Amino acid sequence: MEYLIKNGYVYDPLNNVKGEKMDVAIKDGKIVSSTELSKDAKVIDASGMVVMPGGIDIHSHIAGPKVSAGRIMRPEDHYKVYMRAILGVRRSGTGRTTPSTNLIGYKYARMGWTTVFEPATPPLETRHTHEELDDIPILDKGCFPLLDSNWFVLDYLQNKEYEKCAAFVGWIMDSVKGYAIKIVDPGVAEAWSLGMGVGLCLDDQIPNYNLTPREIIRGLCKVNRMLKLPHPIHVHCNRLGFPGNYTCTLDTMSAVSDFGLTQDSPVIHITHVQFTGYAGDSWATLASGGEEIAKYVNNHKHVSLDLGQIVFGDATTMTADAPFEFVLHHLAPGRWTSTDVEAEAAAGIVPFRYRKKNFVNTVQWCIGLEIALLVKDPWRIFPTTDHPNAGPFTRYPTVLSWLMSKKAREKMFEQVNKRGLRKTALPAIDREYDLYEIAIITRAAGAKTLGLKSKGHLGVGADADVAIYNLNPEKVDPSKDWEAFVKAFKRAAYTFKNGEMIVKDGEVLRHMYGETYYVKPKIPEDLLKTVTEDVKTKFKDWYSISFENYIIGDHELRAVKPIHVETALK
Amino acid sequence: MFTLITGRTLEQGRNLEIGKFTKDYLDRVAICEINPEDLKKLGVESGSNVKVKTAYGEVVVKAVSSTLTSPGVVFIPMGPWANTVVNPDSQGSGMPTLKGIPCEIKPTTEPIPQIYDLLKKISDKTFAAKISSSSQNPVSGKEATYTNVVCCFCGCICDDIEVTVKNGKVTSVKNACAIGMAKLLNYDKERAYKPMVRKNGKLVEASLDEALEVAAKILVEAKYPLIYGWSSTSNEAMRIGVYLAELTGGVVDNTSVCCHGPTILGTQQAGVVKATLGQMKNRADLIVYWGCNPVYAHPRHTLRYSAMAKGRYVKGRKERKVVVVDVRPTPTSKVADMFIQVKPGMDYELITALRMAVKEHTIEAPMVAGVPREKILELADMLRSAKFGVIFLGMGLTMTVGKGRNLEEAIKLVQDLNEWTKFVLLAMRGHYNVAGTNEVIVWLTGYPYAVDFMLGYPRHNPGITSSTDVLIRGDVDAALIVASDPASHFPRKAVEHLAKIPTIVIDPRWSPTASLADVFIPAAYVGIECEGTVYRMDGVPLRAKKLVEPPPGILSDEEILGKLVEKVEALKLGR
Repeated sequence: MEYLIKNGYVYDPLNNVKGEKMDVAIKDGKIVSSTELSKDAKVIDASGMVVMPGGIDIHSHIAGPKVSAGRIMRPEDHYKVYMRAILGVRRSGTGRTTPSTNLIGYKYARMGWTTVFEPATPPLETRHTHEELDDIPILDKGCFPLLDSNWFVLDYLQNKEYEKCAAFVGWIMDSVKGYAIKIVDPGVAEAWSLGMGVGLCLDDQIPNYNLTPREIIRGLCKVNRMLKLPHPIHVHCNRLGFPGNYTCTLDTMSAVSDFGLTQDSPVIHITHVQFTGYAGDSWATLASGGEEIAKYVNNHKHVSLDLGQIVFGDATTMTADAPFEFVLHHLAPGRWTSTDVEAEAAAGIVPFRYRKKNFVNTVQWCIGLEIALLVKDPWRIFPTTDHPNAGPFTRYPTVLSWLMSKKAREKMFEQVNKRGLRKTALPAIDREYDLYEIAIITRAAGAKTLGLKSKGHLGVGADADVAIYNLNPEKVDPSKDWEAFVKAFKRAAYTFKNGEMIVKDGEVLRHMYGETYYVKPKIPEDLLKTVTEDVKTKFKDWYSISFENYIIGDHELRAVKPIHVETALK
Repeated sequence: MFTLITGRTLEQGRNLEIGKFTKDYLDRVAICEINPEDLKKLGVESGSNVKVKTAYGEVVVKAVSSTLTSPGVVFIPMGPWANTVVNPDSQGSGMPTLKGIPCEIKPTTEPIPQIYDLLKKISDKTFAAKISSSSQNPVSGKEATYTNVVCCFCGCICDDIEVTVKNGKVTSVKNACAIGMAKLLNYDKERAYKPMVRKNGKLVEASLDEALEVAAKILVEAKYPLIYGWSSTSNEAMRIGVYLAELTGGVVDNTSVCCHGPTILGTQQAGVVKATLGQMKNRADLIVYWGCNPVYAHPRHTLRYSAMAKGRYVKGRKERKVVVVDVRPTPTSKVADMFIQVKPGMDYELITALRMAVKEHTIEAPMVAGVPREKILELADMLRSAKFGVIFLGMGLTMTVGKGRNLEEAIKLVQDLNEWTKFVLLAMRGHYNVAGTNEVIVWLTGYPYAVDFMLGYPRHNPGITSSTDVLIRGDVDAALIVASDPASHFPRKAVEHLAKIPTIVIDPRWSPTASLADVFIPAAYVGIECEGTVYRMDGVPLRAKKLVEPPPGILSDEEILGKLVEKVEALKLGR
C-alpha cells in the first residue's frame, strides 16, 4: 500500500523537523521519499493537521499475571466501559482502568500511539505476559523482566561476580524474550517473602543476603553497561509512597552517577517519579519534593524520568512493590491482592480513587507536572500515568494539555485542594510545552531511550507508524485552546501502523497485530555455558518447574522482533 | 437422613482416564462410601446395592464400607451417578450444590444402571456409536524418550515426567502419579477416530468438512449458544472459543463454573493473597489443606509442592506442621499433624471463629461448627506463629452452603493473618488448564468465566450467565462442548436440557457427552499429540509438548476451531 500524506505540519524531532509543512510518503510499511511512490498512491489531505510519528509509551501495565489479577478482582471496572464487536472490523472488550486486551490496542491506536512496553514481568510467568501482549492488537510491544529480587542475580551480586551476572541477565532476556532490566524497590520480593519489606530503604540490608538495594542497583547498572542493552536500568525507587521519600530518589540517582561519567546517554531511568517525589514527614505534612528532583536531573545528564502523573478519578494500583500495596490496603480499605513468584518477584494490587478535594491527592497531582515543567531537557522526561496506577492511559491527552497550557492548569487549581497547592511550586510555574516538545516526550525520546532506531521519527527508512491529528497549529494555540488539543489527540484523524491505515476519524478500521521486540545479547560461549550449568544445578532445588520448560520458544509468540546486541563481554 | 458429599477419588480419576464406559469405572464410581456404623444401622452389607434418594433424584449404587467417612456423612465419587441426585440449584452463584445434600438411603435389589441407562432416562437420542480401541493405521517409528514432559491431567501439571514412545504410541511413563500414568498409557482407549454427524437420529461418519459445515450452521442459527468446556485444552484453543462466543452472541464458560468459580467470586469481593508453588516448597512451615484431598485429587502435590516437598529453607516434612480441615477423614487427613472435622456446611462459621480468634476477639460459644473452642484457639495460634503459612482450598468450600462467601471469608482470614506473619492461600485447581483458560477469558473479555455476548460485548453475571443455570433455565438453544464431559459432571437437570438442544462436541475421547452430540469431531490430545500453553493451579505457564503424531486426519482443537470460525464468519458475513 502506498500513501502520500500531503501538506501536514510535521513534527519530527529526531530529524529536526519543527512543524514545517511537508509531505510524508509511505510504501510497503516504511517511510520513503515521495519520489518512490507510483501514481496509485492514495493521497491523504493533511492540510491544517499535525503529523507526528506514532506515539511510544515506555511504561504502561498492559499485560501479564498482575494485570489479569487486577481484571479478575475488579469486575465492576468493566460494566460501564465497553466496546461492541463489529464483524470484520473489530473485536469487543470491556474495562476502564483494567481494560481487556482488544480495548488496550484500539484505545492506544485511536490516540495515535503505536508502540507500548509492559514495564514489569516476572521471568517465570513471562510466557503469560507474552500471551497477553500477543492478544493486544495493532501495537508493537515488549516487556521488562523483573530482576532485582532474582535469587541468581542476588547470589552473583553478593559474590561480586558481575560477568556471570551479566551472562545470566543476557540469558534471561533471550530465554523469556525481555527487553530491559526492571528493578522495583530492589530486594523487596525477598523481604516480602518473610512478611517484611515495608519502607525498605536504599542502604538497608536485604534479608538472607549480604546486599543492600544500593548494591543491587549499582550491580545491575554495571551489568547493563556490560551487556550494552539499549535501555538503561528501569528503576522503581525504594520507599515508594512514603512521605519524605524524595531523598531516596535523589540517593538512587546519585548512587550510579559515577557510571554516568563514561557515557552520554542516561545510565538509569527512574520510573513514575511522582510516587517517589514526596517531601514532608507524614501525610499531614506532605509536600512536593519535585523541585529538588528536577534540580538534580537538570544538573546530571545520566538520569531520565517518567512521571506517573495522577489523573483524578478511578485507578487500579498494581506494582511489584508488594509491601507498599499492603500499606495502601490499610490506607484505602477494601480489596487487596498480593502474589509472590518463587525466587523472583512479587506483586500487589489495590483499587484506588484520586480525589480533587483531597489534600494528599492534590499534592501528588502537582508533583508530576512540577517535575516535567522544571526539567529543562525534554529528551529525558516521559509523560506516563504508570497506567493504571495513577490513572488510565486514555487520559494522556489531558495530561499533555496540563503541560502545554497554564490556563488548563489554572482551571484545575480552582477545583483541587487549596492547601495542597500551597505545598508545591506548581502554581508559580509559567512554562508551557509546545507541540515540538510534546512530539519529543511522546515519540522521539521514547524511541531513543529504547534504542528503537526505526521508530519515533519520519525519516526515510523509518517504520511507517504515523499519527495525524486534526489540529491546525497556525490557527489553534494549545496553550489557550487546550480543549481543542485534547479533542484532537483523543481521536486521531488517522493512525498508520506499518504503513496500513488502522484508524480514521478516531475509529478503528481493522483488527491486526504488531510485533514483540526483545533483546538477544551476544554472550561468549564458554561464559554462557558456565552460567547455564550453574543455573541448572540450583534450578531443581529452587524452582518448582524443570529448567528446560523455563525457556520460551520464538514460535510460541505471534511475531517476534529480536534485536541482536553486541555486548562488552569477552 | 444422611448428608451426601460428592468428590474425587484416586480410583475415579484413574478409571475415567482408562474409560468411562468400562466396568471398572462403574465399579469405582457407582458406589456410595458409608461408615461401618451406618451400614449396620441400615442393615446393609458392604458390596450390596442401595438406593440413594434426594429431593432431586434417586440412583442405585453399590454400598461400600469405608472408615474414610463419618457417621451421618456418605460419599459418592463425582460422576454420572452422583449427578443424578445432587442439587442443581446454584443459588445465584453459578455453582450447583454438589456437597452437603440431605439424602435417604435404603437397601435395594434393583441393579446399578449403566451410563447408557442413565442417559436413556433423560434423552430419547440413540447413543451407541462404534468406537475403536486403536487407530486404524498403525504407525511405525523408532523408540524415543522424552524428558521434562508436562503432564496434562490435574492442576499440578508436573513437568518432570519421562515418556517413552514407540511406533507412534506411548509405551512407558516414569515419575507420573497413578492418574497421570493412567492417562498417558490409555489415551487411545475409548476413542472415536472419525467426525460424525447425526442423521435420522443416528450418528454416522462424515468428512471433517461436512461436520464443520453442520456445526457452523448450528451455531449461526442459534440465538444463544453455550460454548463450554475448555479446561482440558490449550490456551490457543480457548482464544478461538472466546471469539466464537462473540461471533455468535452466545455464552462462553469453562469448568471453573462448577469448580473454583466461587473462589473467583470470593476474590471479586476481597482480593486474594497467593504465591506460586515454589514459595510453598521453599518456605512454608505450616500447611493447611481445607476442604481438599490432594492425596486423591492431586496425588503428587504433597511430594512436589507442599507437605513432603524439600525446599531451600524448609527441608521437608519434619520441618512443617500439616493441618487438614474436612467434614470427614480422608487419605490426606491421615498424614496430617492435626485433623479438624467440621460439620458439613458450616465452614463459614468455623472460618469466622478463626478470624475472631486470630484477632483476639472472645468466642462465646463453647463449640463452633462441631469444633471445640479450645481447638479453634489452638489452630489460630498455630496460624499466627507460622513463619510462612499456606491454606490450600478445595471443593469443600466452593461446593457447600455459602459457596463464594466461604471463600471470601477464607481470603479475609489470610489477609488478617498478614498482620502477624507471612501467609498465603491457593485454590487447588482441578483440570490441567482451568487456570489458563480463566486467564484467557479474562484478558480477552474483562471477566474470568460465565461471559455472555448477547448484546455484542462481554457481560458477566454468575447465576444468570453461568453454564448450568443457562441450561437449567432452558436459555441456550445450542451448545458447543470442547474438551469436557458435562453429561457426566453436570447435575442431571442441566444435562436434560443439553440433550434437547443441537450439540457439537469436540473431544479427543468418546464420552457420555459425545454420545448425546449432533456433531462429533475428534481432536488431538494437548501434551501428547500437539503442543499447547497450559497454566498450573498457581498461574505458572508451561508449554505442553508434542510426543507423538495424532492419528491420521485428527487435528488439534486449535486447528479444528480455526476452521469452524472461518465457516461461521463466512455465514455471518454472507447474511
